[in-house]
Amino acid sequence: MTDRLAGLAFVLLATGYVWLSAGYTAGFGDPLGPAIFPRVVGIPAIILGLSLAIWPRHTAIWAGPAGLARQAAAVALLIFYALMLEPLGFVAASFVSILGLGLLMGATALAGVVTAGLAAPGLYVLFDRLMGLPLPLVGTWFG
Amino acid sequence: MEILSSLWSGFAVAALPINLALIFGGCFAGTLIGALPGLGPVNGVAILIPLTFAFGLDATSSMILLSAVYYGCMYGGRISAILLNIPGDEPAIMTTLDGYPMAKKGQAADALAISGLASFIGATLATIGLTLFAPMLAKAAIHFGPSDYFALYVMAFATIGGITGTDPRKTLLAAMLGLMLGTVGLDPSTGVARYTFGSFNLYDGFDPIVALVGLFAISEILFFLEERAHGGGLVPPGRVFPRFSRVREGLGASLRGSLIGFVAGILPGAGASLGAVMSYSFEKRLSDKGTFGQGDPRGVAAPEAGNNAASGGALIPMLTLGVPGSGTTAVMLAMLISLNIQPGPLLFQRSPDLVWGLVAALYLANLVLLILNLPLIGMFTRVLGLPAWCLMPLVVAISYLGVYAITHAAFDLMVMVGFGILGFVLRKLEFSLVPVVLGLLLGMDMENNLRRALSISGGDFTILVESPIAVTIYVLTIAFLALSLWLSRRSIVPTPS
Repeated sequence: MTDRLAGLAFVLLATGYVWLSAGYTAGFGDPLGPAIFPRVVGIPAIILGLSLAIWPRHTAIWAGPAGLARQAAAVALLIFYALMLEPLGFVAASFVSILGLGLLMGATALAGVVTAGLAAPGLYVLFDRLMGLPLPLVGTWFG
Repeated sequence: MEILSSLWSGFAVAALPINLALIFGGCFAGTLIGALPGLGPVNGVAILIPLTFAFGLDATSSMILLSAVYYGCMYGGRISAILLNIPGDEPAIMTTLDGYPMAKKGQAADALAISGLASFIGATLATIGLTLFAPMLAKAAIHFGPSDYFALYVMAFATIGGITGTDPRKTLLAAMLGLMLGTVGLDPSTGVARYTFGSFNLYDGFDPIVALVGLFAISEILFFLEERAHGGGLVPPGRVFPRFSRVREGLGASLRGSLIGFVAGILPGAGASLGAVMSYSFEKRLSDKGTFGQGDPRGVAAPEAGNNAASGGALIPMLTLGVPGSGTTAVMLAMLISLNIQPGPLLFQRSPDLVWGLVAALYLANLVLLILNLPLIGMFTRVLGLPAWCLMPLVVAISYLGVYAITHAAFDLMVMVGFGILGFVLRKLEFSLVPVVLGLLLGMDMENNLRRALSISGGDFTILVESPIAVTIYVLTIAFLALSLWLSRRSIVPTPS
């Protein structure tokens, strides 16, 4: 079943891809221009996607509700980390993210706080101070 | 003779203090990463690439570091396979078959010593093979024209999934997805913005480094959260020192495994896992008297020699043709391309320091790894006790700081997370990630070769199949695809036994 969906997703993606390529017009001295390669790739992808949708072989087994909830929470944390690294600064953003991910992976509250409390400033000192990779210590929100 | 003098100057490069330090550090870190369940060479190298950039290492030193990590991971993968029955990485799966039974019988020290020595034999023989054959292949490849390169890329994509029994249609689709993602951004020859949807952030396209850290490191986190219980538990330590008599039993198997693994490594797309599988099955057919699977030293030696030899062999097509033979070499290729070094036949003439320095570093790395892995093995086994909730979040933090250090853009962190989610979904659906990375990496070059060939012919597609080299490559590709289609069909039909 998941193969059918994946095949359909590929068909839609590749169709859109080929369709958009029509807008990329050929330049001077380049007989086929920027549209040719997307077609060489996109058209076989449509055919293969169709074949996967018509003759599926594999059905993915997703995690149970608890697993999916953990994964969703992890994605939220990862997005938070990406968006908040600059505003909060490396240490604060890393503390929250390491703590959150640790808890999701089964750390006790104390162990999580200790790990994050050591790792977030530890990584900053190791990489920014000792190895010279510039990381933001305090975020833009704190001036 | 020419090779010997080149190698000699390579040793002069590898023996620079900074490079020696990188070899030691890389071997150590690699063994650790390889030993940790869930983190293999691809993840290890992917996490380290942004750091090598951020530290401003030159191309030779970065390659030395990454190769040391790569070789180290191949050694390390066996440790958790033997002690926990959890392969540290995919190629180590075969090592669990006889390694874990040996450990359960209290022969963990024997198994670790046998596999350590087998790894050394495999990797060293492969490095010798690399020294001898890579320059030859590079000389032959100079005659390749644009249409031949286009054929070579088609072959790389078609075969990268290997003959592992996965659906070849999915391998091709994954490669096409990578190629599609690779066309995002300004078209280099005409300046037309393709698939950017008006976002200036996308004008440079997706940085392959950011994409692959997401695909490999971030998706691993999501995978890990799937199942919570990671059982196993350390086996009884048993004897502390290995017995020489048991170690000697594995020598013949190591030599045979090395040869098979080396050949498997050179084939594009086959890689280390296939090397291990083929070496093990060959050894089993040759010398099994009902002892394989019960803890036979030869069953430990053969796959370890095989996967280490394959990882050396996989460097050959990467360096000489610019077409990687395995996932990890694909990631290393990403780094070289980002440093504006185009691997391929000319690499041997243009950057002899890089090539020969790297080869010399591989010899040294093997020695270092043998030393690290025989007496110091106890230290690495202790790391296996570290809980995942401590390690995995650190992997995330290091990925973020590495990517941020090279791009200084929160947008790229979001791209990394996006690729992480994409990687997770693709892996759940049994799409291999390596073709996606390859497509993203090689797409631009493949497109340039196609357009160059077509502008020579004035838009006539038959030029693609005019050269005998290209035709040979297409025939090989079709044979390979037919074989993998046949194997994947066979594997889904339950065989009556």
